[in-house]
Amino acid sequence: MSRETMNCDNCRVLLEPYIGGDLDDTQEREVAWHLASCDECAAGHADMRRLTADLRLLGDSYVPGSTFVVPSASARSRVPSGRLWQSVAAAAAVVAVVSTSALSIPAFAEQLPLPISREVAELRQERDALERRTGELTDQVERLEVRLKNIGGVQVPVVDTAPEPLPAETNDAIQRLAMDFIKAQYSRDTDALRRMATDGLVSRMDERPSDYLRQGSVVFAQMTDVSRAEDGGYLVFVRLTDDEFNDSSYQQNLTIIESDGAFLVDSADMDA
Amino acid sequence: MEEHKLVRRAMRGDREAFSALVGLHQRSVYGAAYGITRSEWDAADAAQETFAEAFDKIGTLRDPRRFRAWVSRILVNKCNEAYRRSKSTISMAEVPEPRAVHEFVGPEEGLDLMAAVQMLDDDHRTVVVLRYFRDMKVDDIAEVLGCPAGTVKSRLNRALAKLNAGMRQQEGGREREPAVYLEVAR
Repeated sequence: MSRETMNCDNCRVLLEPYIGGDLDDTQEREVAWHLASCDECAAGHADMRRLTADLRLLGDSYVPGSTFVVPSASARSRVPSGRLWQSVAAAAAVVAVVSTSALSIPAFAEQLPLPISREVAELRQERDALERRTGELTDQVERLEVRLKNIGGVQVPVVDTAPEPLPAETNDAIQRLAMDFIKAQYSRDTDALRRMATDGLVSRMDERPSDYLRQGSVVFAQMTDVSRAEDGGYLVFVRLTDDEFNDSSYQQNLTIIESDGAFLVDSADMDA
Repeated sequence: MEEHKLVRRAMRGDREAFSALVGLHQRSVYGAAYGITRSEWDAADAAQETFAEAFDKIGTLRDPRRFRAWVSRILVNKCNEAYRRSKSTISMAEVPEPRAVHEFVGPEEGLDLMAAVQMLDDDHRTVVVLRYFRDMKVDDIAEVLGCPAGTVKSRLNRALAKLNAGMRQQEGGREREPAVYLEVAR
């Protein structure tokens, strides 16, 4: 189609992709030329621009009353249905709600009528309190002693986070197990993983192997000393850098239990 | 963090990453479901079921950059299921709503626009919602709906023309209101 053959009917059909930036350069120029010379189509273009902008805004203008629930790992197949979602309010949801609420869109916040404005003010107070608490915790973490420790032949910075240190022998054995387990994940050595895991974890690994097998190389950025869990098990957190996550922001949380005198990994979850 | 990196993490079982994705998508998924189903409750159900199924099946997603289109496909299916459920359910009584399912935080005219969207017929409503609420390309919408891209384009154009006409009518109605009031007062 050339500049001379573009008529109003052709132009109207192309207005929507023209506004969306989906036309090729030639078509885009032809529509622009036509709009510059046709008042009727130019008016139609202005209307459609306003309408499509309003529609794009509209899609994000409904804030659900509750944050939607992510099923627990053990309930992947038991999806909550019906209206169960209304009754669940996880602590983590507060962060998600604040981050996607009107607080992050000042233009909306200014327009909000009461009582939303009051809620916004309350949320701001909560956010300020959370920021203060985060600052305190950050200071606390920075004060923690970090020392280098040789675990399984690898020098790993270890952070003493356990309030009541365990006997060195137990601590070392569990840290070594955690390191061997993670190494086996990256070498994709399923036999070794099975040997180091409880029956429960073995069945979960069989069910979703991709959740547990990693690829590429891994660097152990930091490991905590072992602490006791409330149920009598042990917890150790390992911060890692690998080919995909190279900002040390990836962490594995391992739960370990003692069975017949041996330590076994009962869960190994990724944490961001 | 870029969305596709969160998707990769979620594909590896990272629940926090998936929660972050829910946070990013929940408004547009709910808004789209509300546009399609025309019911707050059905929309909430469809959105919840969409995220639950996405979480359950994210391991089957081949390209993390297709997450938006993939979730939208699940969403359309869930909205269709909600529609079938509502057709097969006979309401025995009007159940009072315990509280609002959502909060509308856009400009006031947005309520009229949503009402106009919800008055479109099924095919037109769905393409408008996917295109503008879910920010999808025409080709992706065609893939989700299983129809040619040309069909999506023509539905979009017809739907926009109807919406434009509907909104002009509403604007005209609003402009006339003071005159009517004056006549009554006199």
